Amino acid sequence: MAQKPSEPYLGSELSDTLLRMNTELLSELWILRDRVRVLEKLLEEKGVLETSAIDEFAPDEAFAAELEKERAGMVRRVVGGVWEKDVTVKSLIEKGRG
Amino acid sequence: MSAMNKPKPVVLSQRGRAGLEFLGSLQSYASSSIRDLARAAFDTDPDGKRLIAQRDRHGANEPWGDRLKQSRAVAEKYLSYRVERFYQRYVAEEVYVRGIPAAEERREEAEAFLKLKPGATLGSLELDDGLAIPDWFEGVEWHLMPDGWDGYDLYGPVMAFGIGPLVFKQGGYAAVESGDDIRQQRFDVVRQLRKPHYDRIFEPGCGSIPTLSVLADVFPDAALVGCDLSPLLLRNGHVLAQRLGIAVDLKQRNATDTGEPDDAFDAVVMYALQHEMPVDVNIDVFREMFRILKPGGEIVVSDPPPFKAVDPFTAVLLDWETDHREEPFFTVTREVDWADVMRDIGFCDVEAYPIGEKGYPYVQRGRKPE
Repeated sequence: MAQKPSEPYLGSELSDTLLRMNTELLSELWILRDRVRVLEKLLEEKGVLETSAIDEFAPDEAFAAELEKERAGMVRRVVGGVWEKDVTVKSLIEKGRG
Repeated sequence: MSAMNKPKPVVLSQRGRAGLEFLGSLQSYASSSIRDLARAAFDTDPDGKRLIAQRDRHGANEPWGDRLKQSRAVAEKYLSYRVERFYQRYVAEEVYVRGIPAAEERREEAEAFLKLKPGATLGSLELDDGLAIPDWFEGVEWHLMPDGWDGYDLYGPVMAFGIGPLVFKQGGYAAVESGDDIRQQRFDVVRQLRKPHYDRIFEPGCGSIPTLSVLADVFPDAALVGCDLSPLLLRNGHVLAQRLGIAVDLKQRNATDTGEPDDAFDAVVMYALQHEMPVDVNIDVFREMFRILKPGGEIVVSDPPPFKAVDPFTAVLLDWETDHREEPFFTVTREVDWADVMRDIGFCDVEAYPIGEKGYPYVQRGRKPE
């Protein structure tokens, strides 16, 4: 494989690495979105559901609670990750339990 | 093309396709919107303005070297330039990082695509295991291609079903502008030949026949011959020629010593090869093309523009290719006035000019005296 460039593009190796991670994440996000769109298209073509049904879907109370729990967990992991100081076995177990 | 010869396309997995398409969109955006910001920053920077004025004052005769270094320093002041270059490099690496696994997932179909049906006799393929591969070619990972042109047996399908239609189709790499149609550019270059008909046309560095196939379209009656150093590219070219139903004779030869007789061809077309060879090898190739051309025969050469034909910011972009996209001879070949070299070798009616709106493709053409 080709050698790395002699100097980082953004002034530091750290910045290059972070932008690379960011670009990889954007790419993964697109691949996933593309897949969701393919799923919607196939489900519609096979008469399983219409795409508009997803847009118009309103979660009932139980499913809304499920989504909220998952969403809160994701926010905590992504946004809160850098502030977590007191990592203990107990805190990790709690994290595992959501 | 008969139904029997019609190739079955290799359909990539969803991940393979979407991952490559993402690279195409990223490259297209970076090389248009972000690059426009970088160019505007350069053009309004006091040092940038000075360098542009210097070029306008001294024109083509001003030597490069230090001015290129100064121009790069201006461009690098701005985040837009640095980020745009980062994305260029990222895409250049990732097309193979993603393209090879995507082809591997479809190995069976890709191998079937490369397999010729028994009795395929259109044109010819002449490989030479004993050909001395020059030092300047050996071991180079051209365009960051892992292990070079011959490094992976499915590079043909990777290009034909992955990188070509999903990434390069949108343009925006090297001298190719975002939105450029690279196949149309080949037609535009081939049409720089001055006559409506040619009996025999030669292409040095023909690869897997992207230009020969265009020549076959434009001059359907001409006999077409091409040479290249890479056996894999030639094999892929031979397969493609069968698929397209065109007769081309492909030979594994060094373009400096083609083995063709004197005065054998009516025209020579050389496309995007000049920047892949050292300056002295380029001169030898011109001499060899002069030898094999018939008196009155024409030559058309297309390559990215020389530094003298572009503004300082574009010169920085071209120079960047050398160290960042594994193009070892890009800069040195952009410094030479090839029209003068052609005249020195004996060509007449030599002209050099851009045919694209923004300077690319750039053409040099001439004629062997009667």
